[in-house]
Amino acid sequence: MPAPLLLILAVAVAYLAAHVAFDWLAKRFMLVSGAEYLLLGILLGPHVSGILSAQTMAGFAPLITLALGWIGAIVGTQFYLPALVRISARTYRLGFLEAILTAFMVGGACAGLIWFVTGQGDITQSIAPAVALGAIAAVSAPAGIEVVTRKIGGQREPIVLQLQVATAMDALIGIVTMGLLFCIFHPNDTVAARGVTPTEWAVITLGIGVVGGTLFHLFLGGETNVDRLFISLAGAIILASGAAAYLHLSPVLTSMVVGAVLVNTSGSRPVIANTLAKSERPFYFVLLVFAGASWDPSTVTWWWAVVLVFLVTRVVGKIGTARLGARVNDALPDLGTDWGFALLGQGGLAIALGLDYSRFNAAVLPHAVFTAAIVSVLFTDVGSARIIHAVMSRLRWRRSLDDIPGNPLDTPPVAAAGTRAEDR
Amino acid sequence: MRRILTLALLYGAMQLIIPLDRQHGPGAVTLLTFGFLVLAAYTSGELASLVKLPKITGYLVAGLLFGPAVAGTVTQAATTELDPVSRLAVALIAFLAGAELRWGELKERARTIFTMLGTEMSLSFVGIALVLWIVRAHVPFLQGVSDGQVIVLCALFASVSMVHSPAVTMALLTETRAHGPVARTTLGIVLVADVLVVLVFSAMLTMARAVVPAPGGGPELSAGIIAWEILGALLVGGVLGVAVAIYMRFVQRELLLFAIVVAFFGAEIARLAHVETLLTLLTAGFITENVTKNEEGRELLHAMERSAGPVFVVFFALAGASIHITELAQLWPLALAVVGVRGAMIFTGSRLGARWSGAAPVVRNNVWLGLISQAGVAIGLATILASAYPSRGAEMQTLILSAIAINEIMGQVLFQVALRRSGEIVGEGQSALNPNMTSAVADSHTGSDS
Repeated sequence: MPAPLLLILAVAVAYLAAHVAFDWLAKRFMLVSGAEYLLLGILLGPHVSGILSAQTMAGFAPLITLALGWIGAIVGTQFYLPALVRISARTYRLGFLEAILTAFMVGGACAGLIWFVTGQGDITQSIAPAVALGAIAAVSAPAGIEVVTRKIGGQREPIVLQLQVATAMDALIGIVTMGLLFCIFHPNDTVAARGVTPTEWAVITLGIGVVGGTLFHLFLGGETNVDRLFISLAGAIILASGAAAYLHLSPVLTSMVVGAVLVNTSGSRPVIANTLAKSERPFYFVLLVFAGASWDPSTVTWWWAVVLVFLVTRVVGKIGTARLGARVNDALPDLGTDWGFALLGQGGLAIALGLDYSRFNAAVLPHAVFTAAIVSVLFTDVGSARIIHAVMSRLRWRRSLDDIPGNPLDTPPVAAAGTRAEDR
Repeated sequence: MRRILTLALLYGAMQLIIPLDRQHGPGAVTLLTFGFLVLAAYTSGELASLVKLPKITGYLVAGLLFGPAVAGTVTQAATTELDPVSRLAVALIAFLAGAELRWGELKERARTIFTMLGTEMSLSFVGIALVLWIVRAHVPFLQGVSDGQVIVLCALFASVSMVHSPAVTMALLTETRAHGPVARTTLGIVLVADVLVVLVFSAMLTMARAVVPAPGGGPELSAGIIAWEILGALLVGGVLGVAVAIYMRFVQRELLLFAIVVAFFGAEIARLAHVETLLTLLTAGFITENVTKNEEGRELLHAMERSAGPVFVVFFALAGASIHITELAQLWPLALAVVGVRGAMIFTGSRLGARWSGAAPVVRNNVWLGLISQAGVAIGLATILASAYPSRGAEMQTLILSAIAINEIMGQVLFQVALRRSGEIVGEGQSALNPNMTSAVADSHTGSDS
């Protein structure tokens, strides 16, 4: 079957699956949609049905790069400086701490394991995949927070703000780490008289993003017309992602810089953010379906050991570092001890980073890293909103106890997850 | 000044980026070129509108300037890799054009459209074939064949040269937000002509193959195949249109993605079913528009026009990049003769047709200017010709492309003159907004300049 037709069928089926089944399920059982597209991609991919062959997938490389860039740009629009400076330093500290510590823990554990199982040879061969795994581990999905606050309210509660900032910090750490990894391990095959250094590649990465954003600014200035914005916005993101892919750099990082420059320099920030947000779902559909289809699982047993270590260390890292951070920063009364549970969901960005790494031509163990990202998303995505709901309900319950002087009860609510707060 | 600075920055950025990598894999340059073309062509379009030229002229000029013929920023390989974008653009154009045709309006203007079309196409066909026959001693592809074969080849060439451009017509109508008898009649003629041209070309090619056998030339065309190409397209397009209408009635979500999917799907199904792509999408658009409720249809068209924005910009820039300047330089006397005769025949035929059908003077005096443009369909037919006759067809293709290059640039300027003269451009004497065109989309092309 011809490739374009396959793409259409894949997207159409993905869309129908979401519309018919998951929209209803999401409303009824607070399921975060995303994993179903990934599953669909796996089913359509070369390892299950073979409808989307490896050759077909190669034909869609530009579209995948664009989807990666688009998602990066959407992440970048969160970094609007005037809004960011209104948030307390403690909130950032907490987010930064749990993201960076989780990345270190997962990266360290995986580096050790990979080094051990690959014969304890060159340690640098273990570092690249371990750093990639650390970057992916840092990422948490913001979708669950949205689903829960839409259902039970509480948008102004400190924990919701903390979770929003933490997921943004997670995304920043994950994307920057992955982007820098591309610079450090760059194949460096240029026509320049001497090789380009990692620092220079990092500057080029940022430069592409800044030039892309500046071009857009020069191009439209204070334009507010949505359609004109869409054309130039698409042009800026396509150019930045294309340039990054052409130079074997991370399109997610360059486009994130484009997004950040756009929202901070353009007078049409709300329109830009809205335009990007409206196009987010289609790009996620496409990305997740292709990610699923690109997945190349292996029969090598130790891969699965890496995946297992990734999953376990990440869970321990997220919960432990979040608790540690809250304790050190005296934030336990606001956030409780379990707020790290709410960051377990991985979401589309983790897949994007895994896919980005697997397409990097100097990547070591690309499929093992991508497998870890996919398995983690499949495990955590479906239940992430329910976990966030449970964390918020538990915190509310504790607060209500604190409001009653001398209340002896100190047991958690039994039916936290899946029950509506306003029912109680 | 800001626009020129943007262009300079873009060009400079590309010059810096391209040499930095020498081992990029297949497809790596596609996205980079696509992004560059969107921004560079769009900026050129803005510059063109500053000097009162259609934005499409700016897109074409950007393609020409940055294409393989001049600066070389967009390479030949990159333009080939971007072929799917052009195919998508053609599908979107056809769907949007079909959706602009309303049954009631078509019935109302049928007499004028068919009479004008019949006369101008007949005269163009005869005129072009005749002029080639007269100068046959100087035409490369008419050498070494008998007199009878010369006549057939002249007719075959004329069947391609009389084509109009639905793409340019639609794009310009969207850009100018023009609405009135000249705009509607031109669009009607161009769209119906598209169907007719496919029929005439197919018949001519079949005849030519019988009279002038091609050494190892392409697949055989029979009456049955031609009939299927046309009727099958109507059938497939009809089914697609009904499916789209059902979606709009019951689902109506993710329209941005759906719009692209419809265009891609329609084009691929048409290709697989061996039916005419343009006609399939045209029919689908027509059915969708005339079956859905007014608001539902508008919403889909708006989504389609929005997602088509970057695609159209790149499509026209690629058309500019494909202009063969060196060939044009060699064949310009012959190309000018073809262009001149075609223009004269369109002028005479349209005016005669308008008079016979009793059309208003504004239609009689202006519609012919909108029929000069040539673009995608003509290029497509020329390519078929080249594959049907590997040697002679390639020479025909070169001459056709040279004529298209002139008509492509001149046609849109003339059409804008016609719309301006008839006072149908919104903001230039036309107070009422086009009720059939969403303002936001029109803004996307006129923007802040208007």
